Amino acid sequence: MTPALRPERLDATFAALADPTRRAILARLATGEASVSELASPFEMSQPAISKHLKVLENAGLISRSRDAQWRPCRLEAAPMKDAVAWLEHYRHFWEQSFDRLDHYLRRLQTPNVSTTNAPKKAKSHARKKK
Amino acid sequence: MPEKRSETRELLITRVFDAPRALVFETWSKPEHLVHWWGPAGFTLPTHQMEFRPGGAIRFCMRSPEGHDHWMVGAYREIVQASRIVFVSSIDDDPSHQVTTTVMFTDEGGKTKVTVQQLFTFESDATRGAEKGWASSLDRLLKLLAQLTAASAATKEAER
Repeated sequence: MTPALRPERLDATFAALADPTRRAILARLATGEASVSELASPFEMSQPAISKHLKVLENAGLISRSRDAQWRPCRLEAAPMKDAVAWLEHYRHFWEQSFDRLDHYLRRLQTPNVSTTNAPKKAKSHARKKK
Repeated sequence: MPEKRSETRELLITRVFDAPRALVFETWSKPEHLVHWWGPAGFTLPTHQMEFRPGGAIRFCMRSPEGHDHWMVGAYREIVQASRIVFVSSIDDDPSHQVTTTVMFTDEGGKTKVTVQQLFTFESDATRGAEKGWASSLDRLLKLLAQLTAASAATKEAER
């Protein structure tokens, strides 16, 4: 049913994505690496405030920061987001497929002269002619 | 200490069925109907208990085509004849991940529109620091995620 994902990790991903500033940071990082001051410049926010957001993103595994370079650039990590997409798609898939089957089943219930053990009586009185 | 609370996310899915509303509702209200359509293609419901009344228990075993069993356990919260069903459930005995499903049935030009709204609730340490009351359409989030992953892939390609 559910993809093999750790709920804590998925949870951390969604919690990190909940904030508009963090989403904007991710959108910026999607175009390439950036330093903290580069990331802070479009926002009316102090560097410590931005650093706090970066910490949340880093803990969620959505970004990584280089240990080597002195300016410690931030970089987007796509894997957790792909997991989140897969998880959402899984639920959508469940309903789309169930609805396909329900559609088929409803057609069967409404087909006259087809003996369906489970067909409720009202199905026949409601059956409509195709135009 | 921040208060422990939960975050919710919402998924909306709709479909129009060429059948009267009373009949569509009925297919959601009786196990003998549900076994014909609940779950993705190839899934079966070898065990299905449903007490179709507010507070009534739900206990389904959903068996995948590969033979894996997944239990959906929950309870009905609200039932309004031919128009609304609300139930809560969790999958595979994971109480930290609860889903509240609201199913709405409306007339749509002689057909019946079914709207499924699912609210996902996670309870864990990670959500404690999250913004209060955030709820967003998962569809929008999905689009953002797709954009981000596409842009990221394009950048990596360009770097080569």
